[in-house]
Amino acid sequence: MNPNRRFRLLLVGVGGQGVLSAARMLGEAALAEGKQVVVGQIHGMSQRGGSVESTVLIGPGRSSFIGPGGADALLALEPLEAMRALPRLSRRTRVVVSLGKIPPFTLAQKGQPYPDLDGVLAALRGAARDVITVDGPALAEAAGSARALNMVMLGALASLGVLPVSLEAVEKALQDSGPGGQAGCRAFRLGGKAIAR
Amino acid sequence: MREEVSAELHPLLRDAPGQVALLLGDEAIVRGALEAGVTFASGYPGTPSSEITDTFARLAKQAGIVFEYSVNEKVALEMAFAASLAGARAITAMKHLGLMVAGDPLSTIPYVGVRGGLVIVSAGDPSCHTSPNEQDQRYLGPMLHLPVLDPATSQDALTLTRLAFAMSERSRLPVLLRITTRVAHTRAAVRFGELGKREVRGFERDPRRLVPMPAHARILRLEIPDRLATACEHIEELFQIEGDGPCVVLASGAPAATCSDVLKEAGLEAKFTLTTMGGVYPFPERALLRLLERADKVLVLEELSPFVEDALLALAARHGLRVRILGKRSGHLPEPFEYTPEIIEGALFDAFGLGSRPASAAPTPVEVPARPPVLCSGCPHRATYFAARAAFPADQLFFNDIGCYTLGFGPPLHTADALLCMGAGFTLAAGVSRMTGTRTVGFVGDSTFFHAGIPPLLNAIKEDVSMVAVILDNGVTAMTGFQESPASGLEEGRIARRASIANVARALGANHVETVDPMDVAATILAFERARDAKGVSVIVAEHPCPIWETRSTGALSARGVFEIDPDRCATCGRGACGLRCNLSISTGHERHMARSRALEAHGTSTPNVAWPEAVAPCAVHCPLGLCVQGYSGHIAAGQYSQALALIMSRLPLPDSVCRVCHKPCEDVCVRALHDGPVAINDLKRFVVDWAASQGRLPYDPPREADHGRGVAIVGAGPAGLAAAHDLRLRGYRVTVYDAEAEPGGLLRYGIPPFRLPHEVLRRDIDRILALGVDFHGSCELGRDVTLPGLLESHDSVFLALGARAPARLDLPRRDGAPPAVDALVYLKRAKDGALETARRVVVIGGGNAAVDASRVARRAGAVHVVIAYRRGREEMPAIASEIDASLDEGIEIRNHVQPIALVVGGVRLAQTQAGPPDASGRARPLVVEGSDEFVEADLVILATGQSPDLDALALERTHSGGLRVNVETAATSNPRLFAGGDLAGGARTVTEAIAWGLRAAWGIDRALRGTEAADRRPPPPLMNAWPHPQTERTRFWRADSVARSEPPHLAHDQRVSGFAEVVGTLTEAQARTEAARCAVCGMCGNCRACIDLFGCPAFYLRDGRVAIDATLCNGCGVCVAFCPNGAIRPLAREGA
Repeated sequence: MNPNRRFRLLLVGVGGQGVLSAARMLGEAALAEGKQVVVGQIHGMSQRGGSVESTVLIGPGRSSFIGPGGADALLALEPLEAMRALPRLSRRTRVVVSLGKIPPFTLAQKGQPYPDLDGVLAALRGAARDVITVDGPALAEAAGSARALNMVMLGALASLGVLPVSLEAVEKALQDSGPGGQAGCRAFRLGGKAIAR
Repeated sequence: MREEVSAELHPLLRDAPGQVALLLGDEAIVRGALEAGVTFASGYPGTPSSEITDTFARLAKQAGIVFEYSVNEKVALEMAFAASLAGARAITAMKHLGLMVAGDPLSTIPYVGVRGGLVIVSAGDPSCHTSPNEQDQRYLGPMLHLPVLDPATSQDALTLTRLAFAMSERSRLPVLLRITTRVAHTRAAVRFGELGKREVRGFERDPRRLVPMPAHARILRLEIPDRLATACEHIEELFQIEGDGPCVVLASGAPAATCSDVLKEAGLEAKFTLTTMGGVYPFPERALLRLLERADKVLVLEELSPFVEDALLALAARHGLRVRILGKRSGHLPEPFEYTPEIIEGALFDAFGLGSRPASAAPTPVEVPARPPVLCSGCPHRATYFAARAAFPADQLFFNDIGCYTLGFGPPLHTADALLCMGAGFTLAAGVSRMTGTRTVGFVGDSTFFHAGIPPLLNAIKEDVSMVAVILDNGVTAMTGFQESPASGLEEGRIARRASIANVARALGANHVETVDPMDVAATILAFERARDAKGVSVIVAEHPCPIWETRSTGALSARGVFEIDPDRCATCGRGACGLRCNLSISTGHERHMARSRALEAHGTSTPNVAWPEAVAPCAVHCPLGLCVQGYSGHIAAGQYSQALALIMSRLPLPDSVCRVCHKPCEDVCVRALHDGPVAINDLKRFVVDWAASQGRLPYDPPREADHGRGVAIVGAGPAGLAAAHDLRLRGYRVTVYDAEAEPGGLLRYGIPPFRLPHEVLRRDIDRILALGVDFHGSCELGRDVTLPGLLESHDSVFLALGARAPARLDLPRRDGAPPAVDALVYLKRAKDGALETARRVVVIGGGNAAVDASRVARRAGAVHVVIAYRRGREEMPAIASEIDASLDEGIEIRNHVQPIALVVGGVRLAQTQAGPPDASGRARPLVVEGSDEFVEADLVILATGQSPDLDALALERTHSGGLRVNVETAATSNPRLFAGGDLAGGARTVTEAIAWGLRAAWGIDRALRGTEAADRRPPPPLMNAWPHPQTERTRFWRADSVARSEPPHLAHDQRVSGFAEVVGTLTEAQARTEAARCAVCGMCGNCRACIDLFGCPAFYLRDGRVAIDATLCNGCGVCVAFCPNGAIRPLAREGA
């Protein structure tokens, strides 16, 4: 592989799930380790419950795009949003997806079912190198708050060893992130342990 | 937004040169400005520039700089310019659209010139991530003489911002720092420089320069080229060059960074020279000429329009250079949208002939349900829109504006027919109103109102435009991240100052201004209705804080899981068990009517829940046919007459007749009777039925089963027989109807006079039923022409619907020379045949409909004095009250509490009665008062004392009172193949009740012949005691305004008694809709889904086809509770509570 090729992480979820802050924490950790890093936060109209994505690219480079088949890893805080990212996966992509479903209200109010979860996972498996599923909401609750979802999921991803950033650096970034940093750090560790087991 | 006033220094204020931080482009601009010693900052929020101003807002105090969120971008720029004139370095930031708002000052500032460096940040949006257009602001440079810088990365943003101040001060020109979404919202490493020193040098008088009168302006204009040249010296130095390969790329903005990465990853760095411009205007010709001279081909890489490319083409042409310049003009690159790495890579390979690109995985298109943004649960805007839709007609035009509330454009709210820009919500409404003459509605938010909404409002008031201007005041600029609204100043996260939008509107001259809390649904609906009905400009200020902002700014936990659905009430009409729940799909118009009624009913009560609807409305309980009155009136209110007709005709096979002759038990029990008169239910029915007749084509086709060969004979073609024939045909039976009269119709034809039921109207009902394939045999008397055993032999079943034809006897002593006495039904039939004897004085004995009808016929036949003599009081007369009133109108005298005791020469002797002990019916038996009799003149006496069926021919089980023993549910007699109903069974005293019998008989026969399952596909009318009778005087809290009952037109008095023309007319469409809207919707609805269909709060979802509330989203705003037509939303039951 081209040594200039950057590590590309795509993070997806729903407005309010904390996609942007997870991306930022990882970016801070990479920076602290002296790596070149770019975090894309082209979030659109995310604040009102829409789809949100962020990109973290680690390595030499300055742009924040992840194109078709371009993701080395996908961290999905919601299964349908993982599905939406499908065109950017390849046989190289490691996928970590939270199983907590957030039905789009457009479906929910028409009584249309949320797409079959097994089908979603099968599609992801068909496109990616591997797919690790995480009961994100349960872990977040265990970590003390539903809002910890982003950090438990980041912890799960980090524990796979795919990130070019050390766990310690992420923990440090979390601790330095202000009030709530300690809780975020605990959630991050909890997510990691859940995968390790 | 919670102001984080903490002792900790904001990270951007660290005086740590060399420190590297991960910053958004927006944040890097702030740091750049701080390093340049900026002292004033302003702006107006707009994605993607908001993080610039938000960051200034957070650190301004610590930094000791003056920051303001200005009321709009024009003010923001003018403030920054004024700060510059005061000798301070100043920055102002806005999105691309905002800079257009500031166009006026922007165009003159370059002439006047700045003192302190002035930097204007304008964020464009290639690909329209969050904007209605892309806009290439670089053209403002040549247009207005502004230097334009174009950073590609966060580091560029810092460096160029810092430089821009120096450049601005030297050239005395404002510098436009143009960024795009990609630069603004990409976070990357940025190296800090030294923080700059702040300075305010003070204002210096220089009127010849600072007052650009034309004479001054001409002088100032001549200075501009030199000043631009000064700026250009900086720009000439702003090139970054990577590589020195033969393929030359000239890039500007975000694509420069992307191109650099593409070259690296494709291993093409050695082949390329990538030159990135830091500034694009004035055009750095010296440096570019150097570039052109050493290349034979240059690819220009810039997003949007070919700004650099065209300048480069012109430059090469001017200098006679033969270099090829490639880009958009050459077709290598597109103009629209952001440049992705794939687009850039394609252009590089194509332009420089690098061969075929390495195969990249073609994107697999995936179908994933969209997840669009939506107004939050508990959003006051949704409540305002809901109320507006409830108050205005379905085709109302709504114009909208920029903010969260734009999201009202989609289903189910549909409150944006057009949208343009800040403030145009009012202007569009006004302009369309002036051209079309229709009253329009415009919405703007509070922030937008102060930004650009006041001028169009004033304009509309000045021109007296017919429109409703609505200000959605949630106290904050929510869409862009909860910046303070100009309407409300914040101090320490609390509202410290509030501008009164209502007072502004009044001061502008608006006569009708109301402020409402949209969470009070009913008050808001009523306010909108007043605005709808007012003239000129009405202003409604819908004031309620954004709940998200409120929780964030107070730090309080927002409520969750407050309400839940009561499954026993949701989407049920309480009649499911008896199968009468209609299978018609509901319309949003009807739901809106129900929701509006429920909301208004609950208005003003301390808890909305006290007005729980009845399971079944009293009108429906008392209707012999179980018609869903609130259903069809709701459809009429919504203007959906076909649906209303379908609902009526699905249960009523003779609608044309019944809407004229019904005895209207529904209206007697209407809850509105106690308030301002019962809803004119039968007139509403008639409106729809006559509307259908006027259409020439019946927009209703009942579901029919295929013929299965079983046959039923029906004896009697009155309402019961015709109704049974109708339903049996729909059930697939062969039906033959026999009647003693020549024509079908029975009482409807031969008993009810044409001024109540014209022939041609009755004909419509009869023809419709016969057209189903019913055989009719007229002039066919049972016992003479056909026999019961014969009918039973040739048919599977027989339904006797003979009606009551044998006159009740009234044994009176009769003297010779006494006037003739005739039975009322005989008299009425003779009238139909046109064979009436003339009598000047007529006495009618009785108090029922036959008596009243006969008296009115007698008047029309020439009688000058007609007396109705009834032995009980006026209130006890069985005749329909409105008919009694009509008879009085026609000059008929009614004597109550009198009874005939003898027919004497030239008249009748009537004695007075008094109440005696109760009779079999429970009523007081009238007893003659001895010696009270008097003589009343009469040439004719009509006896209308009731009729009884002629049962003598039938060998069937009787009741003790002589009627047939008949099962009231199925009309079955003791003979399993013989059914009987109507008058025969002694129960049906009215046309509508007779029809109910006919329909029950059809069901009973079907049940006997085909079984319950088949029969129940078409359920029979309910029996009156099917449900508990609701209390009419319920503890309802009626708050709606009084609205007088609509009355249909009546034939003028002088035309009435001179002929047989129909007396009562039809409501007009406007009357009908007003009248229908009076319905209080007392009952529940089995098809209601108003919460989702009208309101669309994301907390609602469907689970197994039933509505549920997502406890994680419900924040207890309670709006749905107030309007839920079924009263089916209740506080969440908490475990242990």
